[in-house]
Amino acid sequence: MSTFPSRLVTPERLTQAASILGGLVIWELIASQYSAFILPPPSAVLKRLFDPAYDVKLVVALYGALQHMLVGFGLAVAVAVPLGIAMGRMPRLNAMLDPIVNALYAIPAVAFVPFLIIWFGLFFESRVALVFIMAFPDMLVVIVAGARDIKRNLFAVGRSFGASPLQVAWKIVLPAMLPFLMTAFRVGIARAINGMITAELFLAAVNLGAMMKTSARTFDSTSLLAIVVVVCLLGLAAQSLIAALEGRFLHWHHRR
Amino acid sequence: MTRAQRLFWNAAGIVLFLLAWEIVGRWLGSRIIAPPSGVAKEYLELLRAGTMLSELASSLRQMLVGFGFACAIGMPLGILMGRVKWIERIMTPWIGMMVVTSVAAMVPLFLLILGTGFAFRATIVFVASVWYIVITSYNGARGVDPGLVSVAKSFGATPLQTMVKVVLPAVYPYLIAGARIGLVHAIRAMVMAEMFVILGYGGLIHQTGMMADTEPLIGLLVTLMAVSVAATWLLRTVGNKVAPSYEQRVAGA
Repeated sequence: MSTFPSRLVTPERLTQAASILGGLVIWELIASQYSAFILPPPSAVLKRLFDPAYDVKLVVALYGALQHMLVGFGLAVAVAVPLGIAMGRMPRLNAMLDPIVNALYAIPAVAFVPFLIIWFGLFFESRVALVFIMAFPDMLVVIVAGARDIKRNLFAVGRSFGASPLQVAWKIVLPAMLPFLMTAFRVGIARAINGMITAELFLAAVNLGAMMKTSARTFDSTSLLAIVVVVCLLGLAAQSLIAALEGRFLHWHHRR
Repeated sequence: MTRAQRLFWNAAGIVLFLLAWEIVGRWLGSRIIAPPSGVAKEYLELLRAGTMLSELASSLRQMLVGFGFACAIGMPLGILMGRVKWIERIMTPWIGMMVVTSVAAMVPLFLLILGTGFAFRATIVFVASVWYIVITSYNGARGVDPGLVSVAKSFGATPLQTMVKVVLPAVYPYLIAGARIGLVHAIRAMVMAEMFVILGYGGLIHQTGMMADTEPLIGLLVTLMAVSVAATWLLRTVGNKVAPSYEQRVAGA
């Protein structure tokens, strides 16, 4: 027997699968005692998710939703990475910005929605902005911590071997930062997906948000739960994508 | 950097920020973004009118019920996960799924099932905060020094005695850290749920956002910020008092 299947099917994974399966069975049994409106059973949710007519709507909605999610996340990365590294390497800048970042971060992101409406309207730009303000601070915190963590003597080694600033950035800062960047992306993408669905519910209802509002009007809690499941699966997929990247680029790094 | 220097740069940053905000606010006008001077004046007005504080108090009361349930269930569950292998195995995949699931996505579902009242808001707060409390308690319980546990065992402690005399004291700082993280999520969820159904403090933010002037809106956000900072500070101070050495170690959790 080859070792490959036994690595895929570990006892740990088996118990996890059994736990999820068992949980769904218990839920199904309990749900059968109530109306589908109060507690939709997993079987009904699955049936909805495999209904082709529903899937067409779902794919179209997801395609629209992913657009503002990715643009917002990309902008958050583009600002958080350089700013975080600068704050981590310059103690004075950090001391200046830290209280402001903390103060703004203490305000729940949805509370900024009225402002986003005033500044960006109800549509795409506003959704991008909400994704940005939800993903940005969480990533910034991790990146600042990472940049502060780079050892001073690494720079000294670089200097004594005559590295140019560009070489220092590429060969010292980037590799040292990579584990933290990956963590930041993992945290950030989860927040961005959260922001994606929040924006569609709190600004003009579009895509998944519009589907949810329609389902709510027709008291279709099965469809509402189906969308929750889809958002959850999207989150898990994004996490494992970044974990895969981490494995690809960080095989030398021991995760603590 | 010494403490005095850091405080100086902290203050410099805040002053520069307020200055920049004041200039931008005067330039764009308080329809777009009110300058801090205008907000300060309006803030006294908000305090005097009393609606802001009374709405805040009633919202926080409801939030604390959901948060209390989250602590009462999340902390024992997390500790059990950390100490009992099969509970850990069973719970881990569910926790992983729950943490990535956006609470906002659940709002329409719970609204449909529970209506707009107290049950709805407390449930949203519970769902938003409980998993963070579970994870932090779990990490604490898992990290209890095995040496301590085996000492207790070799002196003939029962499992219950080991739990109460060895595990709980070691996990305590993590419970407080978990409560702190959970509370931040609880406040976020409270505002979100209330903005969705336009009730309570979140509803007040929504309605104030419709007005032509952003001064009171910023005032409401400032209060929210103060509440969040004060709650975090309170739990951190309690943590430091109770177990000064541990709190720093888990501060990043």
